Amino acid sequence: MGLRSFFDRVEPYFAKGGKYEKLFPVYEMVESFLYTPKTVTTAAPHARSYIDMKRIMTYVVIATIPCILVGLYNVGFQVNSAIATYGASGWRAWIIEALGIGFNPANPFANVMHGLMYFLPIYITTLVVGGIWEVIFATVRGHEVNEGFLVTSMLYALILPASAPLWQVALGISFGVVIGKEVFGGTGKNFLNPALTGRAFLYFAYPAQMSGDTIWTPVDGFSGATALSITASEGYQDLAANGISWMEAFFGTIQGSIGETSALACLIGLAFLLITKIANWRLVVGCLAGTIFFSTLLNLIGSDTNPMFAMPWYWHLVLGGYAFGLAFMVTEPVSASHTNLGRYIYGALIGFMVVMIRVINPAFPEGMMLAILFGNVFAPLIDYFVVQANIKRRAKRNA
Amino acid sequence: MPEQNGQNEPQKGLIRRFLDLPTDSVPKTLFVAVSLCLVASMVVSAAAVSLRPIQQVNALRDKQINILQVAGRYDPQANVTEAFSVFEPHVLELATGEFADQFDAATFDDLAAASDPETSIALQDDPASIGRQSKFVTIYLLRNDDGSLDKVILPLHGYGLWSTLYGFISLEANGNDIYGLQFYQHAETPGLGAEVDNPRWKALWQGKKLADDSGNLLITVAKTAPPQGEEYHVDALAGATLTSVGVDNLVRFWMGEAGYAPFLAKLQAGEI
Amino acid sequence: MAQTKRQMLIDPLVDNNPITLQVLGICSALAVTSSLQVSFVMAIAVTLVTGFSSMFISMLRNHIPGSIRIIVQMVIIASLVIIVDQVLKAYAYEISKTLSVFVGLIITNCIVMGRAEAFAMKNPPVASFIDGVGNGLGYGLILMLVGFIRELFGAGSLFGINILQTVNNGGWYVPNGMLLLPPSAFFIIGLLIWAFRTWKPEQVEEPEYKIQVVDAH
Repeated sequence: MGLRSFFDRVEPYFAKGGKYEKLFPVYEMVESFLYTPKTVTTAAPHARSYIDMKRIMTYVVIATIPCILVGLYNVGFQVNSAIATYGASGWRAWIIEALGIGFNPANPFANVMHGLMYFLPIYITTLVVGGIWEVIFATVRGHEVNEGFLVTSMLYALILPASAPLWQVALGISFGVVIGKEVFGGTGKNFLNPALTGRAFLYFAYPAQMSGDTIWTPVDGFSGATALSITASEGYQDLAANGISWMEAFFGTIQGSIGETSALACLIGLAFLLITKIANWRLVVGCLAGTIFFSTLLNLIGSDTNPMFAMPWYWHLVLGGYAFGLAFMVTEPVSASHTNLGRYIYGALIGFMVVMIRVINPAFPEGMMLAILFGNVFAPLIDYFVVQANIKRRAKRNA
Repeated sequence: MPEQNGQNEPQKGLIRRFLDLPTDSVPKTLFVAVSLCLVASMVVSAAAVSLRPIQQVNALRDKQINILQVAGRYDPQANVTEAFSVFEPHVLELATGEFADQFDAATFDDLAAASDPETSIALQDDPASIGRQSKFVTIYLLRNDDGSLDKVILPLHGYGLWSTLYGFISLEANGNDIYGLQFYQHAETPGLGAEVDNPRWKALWQGKKLADDSGNLLITVAKTAPPQGEEYHVDALAGATLTSVGVDNLVRFWMGEAGYAPFLAKLQAGEI
Repeated sequence: MAQTKRQMLIDPLVDNNPITLQVLGICSALAVTSSLQVSFVMAIAVTLVTGFSSMFISMLRNHIPGSIRIIVQMVIIASLVIIVDQVLKAYAYEISKTLSVFVGLIITNCIVMGRAEAFAMKNPPVASFIDGVGNGLGYGLILMLVGFIRELFGAGSLFGINILQTVNNGGWYVPNGMLLLPPSAFFIIGLLIWAFRTWKPEQVEEPEYKIQVVDAH
């Protein structure tokens, strides 16, 4: 227990009145990352549970592991496939070559390693820049840095395109952490999902680097549209002609943001979150119902000019950020509705909006991010009405 | 002036009498309302009427600058009216390609003509999404010093992503080579669709051709060039697919049969 | 009012700023601040309208019947706005095209009405004029700050003059497109309010309720 005694030895410096009192949040962050928090809630109105915030956050990070793995593989796979035609360049290719791994897209190890070359810089930038903001706010406000940030940074890194310039990554996470979370008082008080807030900021601020056909696979000269933008211009029936089958979309070997492409990996993560009861199943049911109902309705209405109308619901679920958003963002407990009835409504609203944005808005073929943020904004209002309805009902009963 | 005696009060001026009424009484309220409206309307109309000539000059000048720019004749130092005087305005009947001399080009209003059922048609096939198309439009001819035709400037408009784009295209005297394209009014996304205003993108249009030798309209705004070659192709705006599609549609619409094709045919035959 | 005229002019700049403290006039602040030049013209227009409308309303204040008070104020403000709009169209056509409806919307700008109702109805003309100008300048100050940030980082220029060469013109700066969209002004004004209140903590409002803290036993 050398490490434990080290922490115990330095703790007085950081405690109240100590030399580095202001840096206590940093100490606490490192310590509670490695050990169980010492302080537990004892005051009266709290129910005690084995599952604390640290555990919740850790579980969410664990749930993203399948997405990370498939994402790494897919980024590497797409890059290596493109390299076969367009040739390799840049420092990443140089490292891969120096390590003697090669660019064979049939070799999973080479794919994962090459994917790592893209994912790691983005993730490290996110951690460092976002972490700095967290520590600054924690120090000024005197609260503690918690594991929620690990979740935010992981989700944020997974919903970016592999080609995202690192300075934009830094700007996005700064916006997400500061405007999406800290201005409202930090973890638990934010009504927006910070990772999505950062992503949306980048989407509107730097559309040239965040949308289009050339950004998903960062190889010079390569251009590959996402399945959704192919559908928007040609219709989902043409996806096969562009080499995308439903199974491929499900397994995730298609163009898209790093961690979003594989519906299967998201499904595994979602199952884990549901089993551990971190995600609430009502949100998932609501969201699926909203999407299935509304997209089927649009299928029936049909349109001569807009091929998106014809896209069936089972394609909606596997394309773009839908599966990822459903698994990790719709179910995020802080920004979702908190009442049970409200959860159905909240989920359905997002499920409805995502189809609405994808199909009817001409500018945004991908709608999950905007739909979830939209839902986030309405969540407190939905709760308010549910609670008010409940109060009225009870008042009537007892009148 | 001091009051002569207290009984003469009713002889005070009418306005004075109203002003001395209790503020919240009905006559006073009416008086204030009426007089304020009178004064305000006089001041406002005086301002509007006296400034109108200058405003009209401004609006005209703005349009003329756009035409000068698209024809490559704009010089910020020079007098706009003078520079513009070399342009010959004509009202053109689209269907025949003839000049419609029953209208005075100086006062003809294209926008009003497009909404008047007398002078416009509701489009069935409407790729540019403009709804009604005027049968007559004002075009501008630019002649060389020796009287030969140098360029023609044709107005065009159509729907992009969020808004209708209004602009001018200028063609060389052969009626097939593009000199420039410029939009003077639109509300596309800043940084993406609004890059139609970027001088570097506008410069791409210079020297492109509308149609091949057998008269097939080939000009297109797209990501990749058509098989017929680069000279018919303008690169689409990066990240603004729908605005590019809109520009492509509107240029092809106006250069096509429903647009200026009859006029361009005459131009190519050297009849103008 | 114990305020000196000097205070009336200076106070609304920071200590009692119509945008950051009273949170008035946000709509136009979002719409016109994408370039500094337009912000500047808008700031002058609002300052003139607020100043003169306050002055005229103050001159008439003893004769304005209570029942039609608001409408009288509106007529005076609207007339002034129309005059400003006409003058802009005549002498600054380019800018009036960009400002378009927003000059007309000065009529509904809460700052103008607010000063008329809160100050000019109770104070003499000169003081009202100064108060109006001060509030207009306070509004203008924020407008210019927001316009400065939005134009510099959104388009790489100031007053239309290139400062940061943008990538589209062959330079290095990647402009932030969101800053050209109106919602970005929301964030900037929010951050400005934050900065102002950190600088002057007396501007922070009392919390509506207090969170109870229970000490651990």
